[in-house]
Amino acid sequence: MTKKPLKRAVRQNLIGWSFLSIWVIGFLIFTMIPLFTSLYYSMSKVVLSGEGIQVTFVWFDNYKQIFSSSEGFNFLQSVSDFAIEILFKVPIITVFAIIIAVMLNQDMKGRGFFRAIYFLPVIIASGPVINQLVYQGAATIPLIEEMGILDFINNTFTEALARPIANIFSELIVILWFSGVQILLFIAALQKIDRATYEAAMIDGAGPWESFWKITIPALKSMVLVSVIFTIINLATFSENDAIQHIKTNMFALETGFGFSSAIAWLYFIALAIILGLSFLLFGAFAKERGRR
Amino acid sequence: MRAHKFQGTKINPSKFHPSQIRFLLIILPIALFMLLPLIYIFNHAFKPLEELFYYPPRFFVEQFTLQNFVRLFQVTGSSGIPMSRYLFNSIIVTVLVLFTSVLISTLAGYALSKLNFKGKRLLNEINTIALMFVGVAVTIPRYLIIEKLGLIDNFFIHVLPYLAIPVGLFLIKQFVDQIPNELIDASRVDGANEWQIYTKIILPLIRPAIATIVILSFQTVWNSADTSTTYINNDSLKTFAFYMNTLTSNTNGVAGQGMAAAASLIMFLPNLLIFIIMQSKVMDTMAHSGIK
Repeated sequence: MTKKPLKRAVRQNLIGWSFLSIWVIGFLIFTMIPLFTSLYYSMSKVVLSGEGIQVTFVWFDNYKQIFSSSEGFNFLQSVSDFAIEILFKVPIITVFAIIIAVMLNQDMKGRGFFRAIYFLPVIIASGPVINQLVYQGAATIPLIEEMGILDFINNTFTEALARPIANIFSELIVILWFSGVQILLFIAALQKIDRATYEAAMIDGAGPWESFWKITIPALKSMVLVSVIFTIINLATFSENDAIQHIKTNMFALETGFGFSSAIAWLYFIALAIILGLSFLLFGAFAKERGRR
Repeated sequence: MRAHKFQGTKINPSKFHPSQIRFLLIILPIALFMLLPLIYIFNHAFKPLEELFYYPPRFFVEQFTLQNFVRLFQVTGSSGIPMSRYLFNSIIVTVLVLFTSVLISTLAGYALSKLNFKGKRLLNEINTIALMFVGVAVTIPRYLIIEKLGLIDNFFIHVLPYLAIPVGLFLIKQFVDQIPNELIDASRVDGANEWQIYTKIILPLIRPAIATIVILSFQTVWNSADTSTTYINNDSLKTFAFYMNTLTSNTNGVAGQGMAAAASLIMFLPNLLIFIIMQSKVMDTMAHSGIK
C-alpha cells in the first residue's frame, strides 16, 4: 500500500509549524497568556491576600484613575519625558553607531580589538553593573557640569525642553554604552558591500565623500529600521526606566494595587506601540526605497 | 603585486600604515570612554570604605585593599547552604538556557524568515508586538500560571520562562532575512531537505547572530535573581545571583556598600569571560560567508 503524498501546501504548513512548535508553545504559556491576563486585570480591581487573589471586573475605572490621580499624573509625566528622550537619543545612537561602524570597517591595525571594545558595553549596559554605576554617579561626565554647559542649556531652552536635553548631556556616556548591538548590526551590513563597487565608483571619478553617500549609506538603510527599533525597545525595557519603576512600585501598593499597575503597563505599551508605529512609517519607507522586501 | 591578499577569516590587516592614523585618532579616545566602566568596576571593588563615598567619585583606587572580599566571604561562612551549591545551580541553569534558547530561536527564526506557511505573517506581527511589552507587567499573571502548572519549587522553572524570548527571535530573524533565497533554493535543487538546510546552511551563516544571542541571554540568566525570589521557596534550589543579592542586602549600611562592590565584581567576571570567548565569533561577521 502506498501512502498518498501530502499536498504541497499542506506539507509546507506542516514543516513550517513543526520548526516553530516549541517556540509557539513556550511563547503562549509564558508570554501570551500572562499578557492577556494582565489586560483583564487592568480592567479589574485585584486584591492580593493570603488565601489567593480576588478579582472584580470594573471596566475602565483603573484607566480613569490614571488620568485623575496624582500617581497617574506622575506616570504620564514620566512617559512624556521618555518620549522626548527617545526623540533625541535614538538619532544620536543611530548616527553614532553608523559612524563607528564605518570606522571599524576600515583597514587598520588592531581592528578586531577595537570592535571588541565597542561591543563591550553590551555586557555592561544591562544588568546590575549599570545600576551600580548610575547609582554611584560614575555615569556622568564631571567636565560637562564644570564647563557650564548645563547652565547654558537651562538659559537657552524652555523648561520643558531643557530638562531632557540636559539629561542627554549628563548621560552622554550612557548613550554611547547603549550602542553596542547597533554598531554590530551596521558592521554586518557594511561587510555585505562588495569592495568592487567602491573600486568601480572610484574609477568613475567618485571621491570618498560621494562613495560614502551613494554606496555606504544606501547599503545601511535596511539596518536603520532594525537598529531604531532595537534602540527604542532597549531603552523602553531598561529596568531603571522611570515608567517601569512606576509599574513596579504600584504593583503591591495598598491604595492602587495590581489592577492599576496593569493599567499603567498597558498604557505604556500603547504609547510604545505608537512610537514604534511612527518609526516604522518613517524608516520603513526609507528601507523600502531600495526595493527590499 | 596583488592589492588584496586573501586572509581567510582574519579581520586584522597585518601591517600598520600611516593612512590609518586618521581613523585611530577618532577611534582611540572613544574606545577609552567605552572602557571606563570596566576600569571602574575593577577599581571599585578594591577601594576601602572611605573611598567608596568620595564625591565626585574617583575612578582609581588609592589605597588598595581586599577587605570588601574578606567581609563578603565571612558572611558567606555563617549561612547554612554552601556557596558552591548556588554556584552549581546557576551554572546548570545558564547552560540549559543557552543551549535550548539558541536552538528554539534559530529554528523559529529560520521558519519565520524563509519557510512559507499559513499564519507566518501573523506570528511575525505578534512577536514584534510582544517585543514592546515590559516584563515586569506580567509578573503576577505569570506566577499564577506557573502555580497552576505545579511548577513552583521545580528546578526547571529557572529555565522555562527564558526560552521564548522575543528579542532573540527578532535579531535572529533579521539575520536570516539577509541570507539570499538563491542559496537556499540551490541547496533544495541539490536535494537537501529543510532540516539539512537549517543545519548546513542557516546555522553556519548566522553564527554571529547566535554568538550575540548567547552573550545577551547569558547576561539575563546569570544576573537574574527574579526566578529565585518569585518561583522558588526551597533555598537549595536558588541561584548564585539571588545569593549575592541577599548577602549584600542583609548587611545594610556602610559595610554593605563595600560588599556590594565586591559582589558585583564577582558577578561580572563570568560575563566578561563569556564576552571574551564569544566576541571573536560575533565580530567575524559575514565577510567571507559567500553572501553578497
